[in-house]
Amino acid sequence: MKTTSRRGILLASGWLIIFFLLAPSLIVFPISLTDTSYLGLPEHGFSLQHWGTVVTNPVWRDSFLQSLLIALAASAVATAAGTLCAIGCWRLSSRFGEFVRVLMLAPLIVPQIVYALGLYRFYATLHLLDTYAGVIAAHAAIGLPFVMLIVGAALVNFDIRLERAARNLGATPTQALRRVLIPNIRTGIISGAVFAFIASWDELIIVLFIASRKVRTLPRAIWSGVNESLDPAIAAVAVILIIVTVLVLSISLHAGRRQPARNPN
Amino acid sequence: MTNCPATFSFRAVTKRYGAVMAVDNVSLDVNGGTFFSLLGPSGSGKTTLLMMAAGFEVPSTGDVTYGTREITHVPPEKRNFGMVFQGYALFPNLTVAENICFPLAVRNVGRAEREQRVLTALDLVHLSGFGDRLPKQLSGGQQQRVALARALIFEPDILLLDEPLSALDKKLRVGLQIELRELQRRIGKTFICVTHDQEEALSMSDEIAIVRNGKIVQRGAPEQLFERPATHFVADFLGESNFLEGTVLETDGAGFVRYGAQGTTLVQQSDVRLEPGERVLVSLRPSKVSLTPDCPPNRANLTSGTLAGWSYRGTEVHYEVNTSLGRLSVNAPTWQSDFFPTGGQDVWLSWPPDAATIVKDDRVTREPRQGNLPRPPADPEGNGSKYVKRSDHPQQENVDVEAK
Repeated sequence: MKTTSRRGILLASGWLIIFFLLAPSLIVFPISLTDTSYLGLPEHGFSLQHWGTVVTNPVWRDSFLQSLLIALAASAVATAAGTLCAIGCWRLSSRFGEFVRVLMLAPLIVPQIVYALGLYRFYATLHLLDTYAGVIAAHAAIGLPFVMLIVGAALVNFDIRLERAARNLGATPTQALRRVLIPNIRTGIISGAVFAFIASWDELIIVLFIASRKVRTLPRAIWSGVNESLDPAIAAVAVILIIVTVLVLSISLHAGRRQPARNPN
Repeated sequence: MTNCPATFSFRAVTKRYGAVMAVDNVSLDVNGGTFFSLLGPSGSGKTTLLMMAAGFEVPSTGDVTYGTREITHVPPEKRNFGMVFQGYALFPNLTVAENICFPLAVRNVGRAEREQRVLTALDLVHLSGFGDRLPKQLSGGQQQRVALARALIFEPDILLLDEPLSALDKKLRVGLQIELRELQRRIGKTFICVTHDQEEALSMSDEIAIVRNGKIVQRGAPEQLFERPATHFVADFLGESNFLEGTVLETDGAGFVRYGAQGTTLVQQSDVRLEPGERVLVSLRPSKVSLTPDCPPNRANLTSGTLAGWSYRGTEVHYEVNTSLGRLSVNAPTWQSDFFPTGGQDVWLSWPPDAATIVKDDRVTREPRQGNLPRPPADPEGNGSKYVKRSDHPQQENVDVEAK
């Protein structure tokens, strides 16, 4: 009797947590199909008119492409730099390496608004405000800690004897890196890249500070849209944002599963 | 590639990790074309020596040379030494053929030649047809062969082996010991093998160096080390041994020493000149002692005792006998043990003067290793003797300094 009630409480709290996790995100799906002209749930039926706006309106399309470009470039930079840095720290395995590792986590530790404020002052003198390069660099910096952490975790499981074997068999340090080390931590690198992509893809605070007219990412466009009008097209854009994030995350899951899948039993 | 393999040497090599001395002033020449083993307990520094040979570690002081070439600071990929790692270190993301091909691929060998040589190598280690498998789809013994083929395909000058058989079960190990030995003879290359398994070292090597606390205690051919161990440590580490402690009574000109141990007078052959009154430590292999139920006539060394226990080991019978010299172990071939032992039975132990060896006492003070040895009495000569000498570094005994 007692165990059943405990089980019930456990189940109820589980569902409650799932509801709080998902409901705020999922609500945008019906809203995007609303037949009203304001941000609200459908009243008389579903309509695709707001999706039509998003697809045809060059402003939304432009924002989407900008976000995609920035996120791809930022995650590429973060993945390359973060992977090399993680490998360097791993190889040093000294107090200095440990120090660098903590330093690289700074964008994660410092409150993002403080970081954004600092960037704003910094970029003003460098003339990087409202430029692609500026936003890509800033987003690469916030993606770096994810890559460092995930690749660092992958390296813990890497057998250093494999690298030594490569060197012994005649590979230069670069060849050993390219042919042995990187293929064996590939899963970690892909996951790191995915998280770096997402960190940039849905980033708003920094963009609010360092970009204005020329660079206008999707989150930024949603933010302006909510402030200016309550166009239901925003819900459709939000749905696109979520779908892209889920797609990219599934890449990471797929990469993680591929390795064991190569081996029957 | 048919030129005579050169000598590999360590010259006064020392390796320090912080305060720990992993390798302590080792000088060693490995003759070209021999199977050489570095044998020692874990933490003795033998792996550090191998890592310095491969180029993964650089000595703190001293030189590493190959032939006339000084290679102390040459990076591993430029040494042209193959290596079989502990656990094999096969690349899990590459197939067996790709693993074996790796040394050729990084050397930009042409595709056709590469394929040809991989097929030959697979054939050499009896793995034809396994080229497309992944390493984890192979058994331990097969993985070991892939590691061997991979380390040999680029015609290295020396093959280094780090505990090559430790991951395998015993029966497979014996077979592969013979195979490795046979392979080495066939290709005539220098093999340097690190192992903690004395049986493995004895059965495969042309020469063995015993390593302890970063130093080489003794080197020599397997039978020489086994029959004539120089120190207590070597005798104890290579197989079983009884230890008898005594004081020299008299010496004759012909190399025989009479010594007293616990009131019994024993005779021992000795290459070293000893003076009466000196303390001696004698290593006596259990298999060199004969055990009889009746007193045998005319034996140089004879003691009586009571049978404390015995165990049947198939090819031999192991006896434990309590004597006035302490508890002694005896191994007798089963076919020679024609009496039925009973507990507490009186038996006689005897051995010829050349059966045992006088060894240097390098025991660590707080280490009562042999149960049959009564605690050594205080040295009446004021510790001035040549043979009773304690180890200088007892605190280093269990420090694990093996390079990871």
